[in-house]
Amino acid sequence: MILGLESSCDETAAAVITPDGRILSNVVSSQADLHARYGGVVPEVASRRHLELVTPVLQESLAEAETSLDDVELIGVTAGPGLIGALLVGVAAAKAIAWARRLPLAAVDHLQGHVASLYLEPDPVEPPFLCLLASGGHTLLLDVQGRGDKARVLGTTLDDAAGEAFDKGARLLGLGYPGGAEIDRIAREGDPRAYEFPVARVPGLDFSFSGLKTALLHAVKELPPEELERRRADLAASYQRAIVRALVERTRQAAEQTGATRFAVVGGVAANSELRVSLPEAAAAPLALCTDNAAMIASAARFTRTIPYPGYLGLDAYASTA
Amino acid sequence: MLVLAFDTATDVATSALVSDGEVLGERTSRAVTVLEDVDALLRQAGAHTRELEGLAVGIGPGSFTGVRIGLATARGLSLALGVPVAGVSTLDALAAGAPGALPVIDARRGEVFVLQGEPRVLVPQEVRFGPGTVCVGGGAVRYRAVLEAAGAQIPPDDDERHLPRARFHAQLARKFGPADLVEPMYLRVPDADKTRE
Ligand SMILES: [Zn+2]
Repeated sequence: MILGLESSCDETAAAVITPDGRILSNVVSSQADLHARYGGVVPEVASRRHLELVTPVLQESLAEAETSLDDVELIGVTAGPGLIGALLVGVAAAKAIAWARRLPLAAVDHLQGHVASLYLEPDPVEPPFLCLLASGGHTLLLDVQGRGDKARVLGTTLDDAAGEAFDKGARLLGLGYPGGAEIDRIAREGDPRAYEFPVARVPGLDFSFSGLKTALLHAVKELPPEELERRRADLAASYQRAIVRALVERTRQAAEQTGATRFAVVGGVAANSELRVSLPEAAAAPLALCTDNAAMIASAARFTRTIPYPGYLGLDAYASTA
Repeated sequence: MLVLAFDTATDVATSALVSDGEVLGERTSRAVTVLEDVDALLRQAGAHTRELEGLAVGIGPGSFTGVRIGLATARGLSLALGVPVAGVSTLDALAAGAPGALPVIDARRGEVFVLQGEPRVLVPQEVRFGPGTVCVGGGAVRYRAVLEAAGAQIPPDDDERHLPRARFHAQLARKFGPADLVEPMYLRVPDADKTRE
């Protein structure tokens, strides 16, 4: 069995999977409520919470899988990218468990983890495919050729990630956090064509969402408060449509350029209902595997170089891939 | 009782293996590599992880990230080995290594952590002590000028009394219990803005 541990942002998560990719448990303790009052993740608040949750989450993942550390053969932990203080909680705990049990450790890249969410049972997706990774921290187009290969980055965001664009938009509209789910919810009652928001034209296969955010800001400012209340759903629907259009257009463009015939969508934004409808042919992991979780980290651990004892004792976390 | 002690709250991480009060080994490194030291300590003592009977861990105050690395390590070890954990204040451990001295830990942002009746975070100018008091710790070294001007005596920068030493954590450890009951001592609320420590 493989034990996965994830603490790169605001979810503390542990999971147990089998080597062939069956999920035996997938425990995620979200801190979203804790960060909602700040309208975003506060790194120090997140790190403190990770320390409080790391043992209970690990224990629950083992209990739910009806197993114990005696049956664990490999530990996979997110080493980066993410909030460094948050990552270090998971890395320290994982190293300690691995050392105590003389187990090998896999230092998993969080983005590889998102891609590896597609390799879990019962409906694993086999590379090659073109992968849109859209989450709170990342918007990437990846050319995935093999499970163990490092995916080639075809395009990335030049400013905000799609998830951040949702969060910032939600804040402008006076909606809660996390913004993606809130906008998705309220957009169902709105007209997505009520406002014509721009889709940025940047060269290549990159994304840009800052202009869109500014356009929403202007639209909101022009409305008197009671009018804003009335048009909120229209604004949310139109704003969401613009984000989704940007994602879909770029993904199709990338497919054309690379000749890819198969798509996949991963990351928290993959849970967006509009995106799922707009890319119907794309493979997507179940919703529970789209947002940050540890089953995907355990899955990626299978295709990451494992470090035998004692090679990982000095392992550090990294904030960014660059 | 075979106790593994470590503290990663300050710039220099410390670890020690102590058997019934006898120090079998003590090492220093950084927070991220503390397990390398722990591994070496056990190998040198010819001890197996199964033989550990208790963990003594520094709970700070110090670097928030450093404190958490120590406590997350203790939680992982406790979970995997089933051993109980005792938390020891980094200030208390420093004080135990320098009897009569006032421990002063660098709290960054121009402040220090000190024992002033209770553990507190203060600007160096606010620290109160009697004339001729010896001050030890990273904060004492960093704010030597301010503290000496106020009448403190501070040992040379390379004096070992400035460093927490895990043998004293093992010595001070009293109540061993569930790892989750050992809480960090931050002494500061998190910034609501997004600046990092
Ligand atoms: Zn993620």
